[in-house]
Amino acid sequence: MWQYVLIQGAISGVIYALIAIGFALIYGICGISNLTQGAYFMIGPFIYGVLKEVLPNYLPNLSSNTILMLALILSCLITAIIGSIVYRITLHPILGQEVNILILSICVCIIFQQLVLITMGPGKAFMFNIGELLPGMLAIGNVEVSRGKVFAAFFSILLFIALAIVIKGTKIGKAMRALSEDLEAAMLMGINVEKIFMLISGIAAFLASLGGIFYITTTNYNVSLWMWLQGLAWAFTVVVLGGLKSLKGALVGGLIFGYAETIIIKVLPKGGLIIQSFPFIITILVLLIRPKGIFGKRIEME
Amino acid sequence: MPINITKYLWKIYTEFTTRIYDIPPRMLAFLSFIILAAIPLMLDPIKLAFLIIANIYAILAASWDLLVGRTGQISLGHAIFYAIGAYSTALLYMYFKWPLWLTMPLSLLVGAISALVIGFPCLRVKGPYLALLTFALPFSVKGFLYYYSDIFGGDAGIPPIPKKLYEFFPMLSGDQKVIANYYLSLGLMAISAIILYKIATSKTGLTFVSILDDELASKACGINVTKYKLMSFTISGIFGSFAGMIYAHMVSRRVDPLFLDVSYSIIPIIATIIGGIGTIYGPIVGAYIYCFLDRYLFQYIIPYVCIPLGNYTVRIPLKDAEWRMLLFSAIVVLLIIKWPRGIARAIVEKLEDLEEPREIEEIEKEKKLQV
Repeated sequence: MWQYVLIQGAISGVIYALIAIGFALIYGICGISNLTQGAYFMIGPFIYGVLKEVLPNYLPNLSSNTILMLALILSCLITAIIGSIVYRITLHPILGQEVNILILSICVCIIFQQLVLITMGPGKAFMFNIGELLPGMLAIGNVEVSRGKVFAAFFSILLFIALAIVIKGTKIGKAMRALSEDLEAAMLMGINVEKIFMLISGIAAFLASLGGIFYITTTNYNVSLWMWLQGLAWAFTVVVLGGLKSLKGALVGGLIFGYAETIIIKVLPKGGLIIQSFPFIITILVLLIRPKGIFGKRIEME
Repeated sequence: MPINITKYLWKIYTEFTTRIYDIPPRMLAFLSFIILAAIPLMLDPIKLAFLIIANIYAILAASWDLLVGRTGQISLGHAIFYAIGAYSTALLYMYFKWPLWLTMPLSLLVGAISALVIGFPCLRVKGPYLALLTFALPFSVKGFLYYYSDIFGGDAGIPPIPKKLYEFFPMLSGDQKVIANYYLSLGLMAISAIILYKIATSKTGLTFVSILDDELASKACGINVTKYKLMSFTISGIFGSFAGMIYAHMVSRRVDPLFLDVSYSIIPIIATIIGGIGTIYGPIVGAYIYCFLDRYLFQYIIPYVCIPLGNYTVRIPLKDAEWRMLLFSAIVVLLIIKWPRGIARAIVEKLEDLEEPREIEEIEKEKKLQV
């Protein structure tokens, strides 16, 4: 059993980290708590499901796996574009007003929720089957894990590495780090804040929607409208666990969360029901011990 | 000589505002209370429902404003208190069959205690952390409701409380019950609004505002910040659960996990943004505007809107709940971007801006006369 917990926990932990890392990225660099991440976590899978149904009509000679990957990438890109445009329209004009940003981003989430409800209709909005990511099982040691989960975990780890390289190594990454350290000084050095922030919002939306798609396609295959609340609750928990500004913290927090969740589902009777409350309990415990999260003291980007 | 219309309008406006400002705010509040009290004489009792809901939401919004607008502790999960109020009365009634005058204060006590229990760990953090935590709160509590479904009734919830508030007056019948409900909710709203306003303007309220302005500075002045934050959270929680409790007593509806719905956290926000944050009375006005638009105007008067687009027209059924929620969220987004300090203040500021060009004109005229 411990082998199952070890592998399953790591895989779901990586997916949770994917959801949270965009949040940490935005908070770390832009200094705003952009709750619209939850909306992208929800609309990503919806767009993926729609694209998966629509794409074969236009590209009939592609194999089904290619269509899946195409839909995956396209839906994430579309969400990323939506994310950066929404950031530019709504959040950019009110940068610096903390309360207003929180309220406004919640309202943007509600707008997306209602838009999905209206466009998909009440039947599909609450139960929209988007299918499995990759069919079949894979044996790791004695444990059988679905191929989709393994693919999702590897893809996420690759993305983390790519993100780390971008932030550490490239010029844009340097600009991002500069902005996170001192906004005004960075502006004086000629960094285009608007562009960089839009880019970051796009990346964060990309990660959030990818996390949403991975989560749904590896667990219960059904997208629901209320998923954004769940996603936000997880993102908060993971981010609070690791400390709001730290990307490394988000990764470690995600892993802790994934392991804790897997253990709870395995150990407790009816564990699947309490799992909703479980993020909050963990967060409260962490906050009582370390109010700034595990990696909270050191404000760092990695 | 042509009459300068803008000048004339400006004169009317200034006279009007000075008149209004001459009336003490207490008088204005009393006048609006009388107008509200007179409404059942004019309106069909069936349509009165929206005003009952407005009264309840006004309490909810005002209590949210005390916490967020006055103390600066951002809570995005006010639905939790609403649900605690509703659940505690319903549970107390279901298991013990106690009379109303006992369950009502007890449920407020439950609300206060749970606010303390929630607030103690939550208020250790501030700013976005607190907002995120309180936002996740109702969602997390939902899990408990499902997990202990033998106590809380799970998804189906608890059957509605058969004893209603109007049973304090046993001789009523039919439509009179609705009217009694309305007056009771109005009275309770007025009482809680007065209490909240008094708290907000008292010395304690001043301390709250000092925490909002600068937490570090107020700490340096020797204010026990944690204590006052917790106090604000508890007062807000008590009134939030009060609103939920009234709702559970007025409307025959099962007390189910829908009380934890995110919309109950959003409604006080909408009302506060419409009315103006940080002013206790603003959210109350905002709640009335919101309920009037949401439950009266878009239900009975403008059920749908047609937008002509080229050859065909798009018909938006505002009567449907999803369109209304969309509309209100969009309104809040626009309001925050355009006028982050509320509509009322924005209108007044805009009108006062009109004064400046007029002054310049006058100055120029004076100059011409002097020459």
